Amino acid sequence: MKKIIPILVVLLIVIPSLAQSAQPLDALRGPVDSIISVLNDPQYQDSAKRDVEQEKIWEIIRKLFDFTEMAKRTLARNWRSFTPQERKEFTQVFGEFLGNTYISKIQKDYKKEMVVYVKEEMVTDSKALVKTKIVREALEIPVNYGMKLHDGVWRVYDVNIEGVSLVKNYRTQFNKILLSKPPSHLIERLKKKIEQQKQGKAVSDQAALEALLGAYC
Amino acid sequence: MKYLTWSFLLLVFCSVGCAHSPAETSPSAPVAQNPQTTLSTNDQAPSDVDEAVNVGVPHDDVALLDERTEENAVDNDQTSLDQGAIEAEFLDDDLDFLDEETEEEVVSVADPLAPWNRLMFQFNDKLYFWFLKPVSTGYKAVVPGPVKSGVQNFFTNLATPIRMTGCILQGKGHEAQVEFVRFWLNSTIGVLGFGDPAKNYPELDIHDEDMGQTLATYGVGDGFYVVWPVLGPSTLRDTAGSVGDLFMNPVTYLPIGVSAGMSGENKLNQASFRTGDYESLKEAAIDPYEAVRDAYIQHRKTKMEE
Repeated sequence: MKKIIPILVVLLIVIPSLAQSAQPLDALRGPVDSIISVLNDPQYQDSAKRDVEQEKIWEIIRKLFDFTEMAKRTLARNWRSFTPQERKEFTQVFGEFLGNTYISKIQKDYKKEMVVYVKEEMVTDSKALVKTKIVREALEIPVNYGMKLHDGVWRVYDVNIEGVSLVKNYRTQFNKILLSKPPSHLIERLKKKIEQQKQGKAVSDQAALEALLGAYC
Repeated sequence: MKYLTWSFLLLVFCSVGCAHSPAETSPSAPVAQNPQTTLSTNDQAPSDVDEAVNVGVPHDDVALLDERTEENAVDNDQTSLDQGAIEAEFLDDDLDFLDEETEEEVVSVADPLAPWNRLMFQFNDKLYFWFLKPVSTGYKAVVPGPVKSGVQNFFTNLATPIRMTGCILQGKGHEAQVEFVRFWLNSTIGVLGFGDPAKNYPELDIHDEDMGQTLATYGVGDGFYVVWPVLGPSTLRDTAGSVGDLFMNPVTYLPIGVSAGMSGENKLNQASFRTGDYESLKEAAIDPYEAVRDAYIQHRKTKMEE
């Protein structure tokens, strides 16, 4: 009995500290698996429930993605020429646009594809690259997540699909636009894209409704 | 002694509880809720300065405008302080990630033919939506999955000479051997390449090299960006590489009708695996032409580094 207590004490100290240093791969796996389970959940299969499904996925994404970091990295040097108010607005609008784009894509196209977690590479103590693969029929698509440790939480700041970095791709686009237009113009364009997304959804909802009615008429 | 032990354990339990409360810096809900006043002052300031620069206003007026911009900026700060709405992260000018990025990571390929390229981009876009998409959708609906995979495997196998030559020319002897073994394995056990038994052996991973990458390894620069009708985005170097690869593709040496038919089938089959990808790229882009251009350059760079 006397020997067990010191061992127990050591275990009780060691185990919590192990749990505290969450690894980036685990920090990614949790949310991604949650998203997949939401997509597979039978209660959301009905197209009427799509908004609810979207909101559920948004909750997960909000915690997983570091939108401020992504906004900074896509604007790069242009960040400095944005006022704080513009920076905040840009981050909100860009975050909403990215989330909507990602969610509408996976809602439309997800067909029980498998996500394989290949490995994690620590670049520094607070920066990591988590490599995954999406297996779709005979095709394997490498998707790598750049993650950063901030306040004890690992979050995604870049997604790299088949060698193409999201952040770099948007940086090129935004840089081109900001060469000749003010920040407010870029923010307006993003807002217009969001409007188009909402309309696109409205159009497809209407189409789905008509298809449904057509089946009964 | 007992009390000491138990109070120590209690201390440990308490510290465990404290450990699990990470400070969340979650961004505010992604719905822009900016009051109209701050927005209008923001819009005013940069466009005023722009106008001054464009119109060539005399120096005094520019100084006046600068003052006004400063006043507006001060107003902004005051209103933002009043609202307390601007979090510290947005006041931060720190771009430390730029120091982390090396120069070689910043890839830019010249685009002197931009007007022509944009025209070709539009043409290919229409070609996709009016022709390739409906045909590949129909193809996908009619052809079963295993057959599509088989066709893809067949053409991949046929292109072995291209990959092998690429590996050899880049000094990748081992990879060239791997391609050779793959070819024999897939052609025999995989029945003329329709099967892909080699994929079960991770040491026999495919090494996708081509002439364009070979030239890149020799230090040949991209040249400039070009968009070919039907064939899509490329660079001067990659186009030269593709022409070289043609000579190593067995399909080229068949009678023209058969050759064209087979190439067409290959492209159609490939497209059937990726329906929706181009649309997603367009949807996700603010400037689709620039997005595709950057994506192509990044993709080629990644392949070259592999």
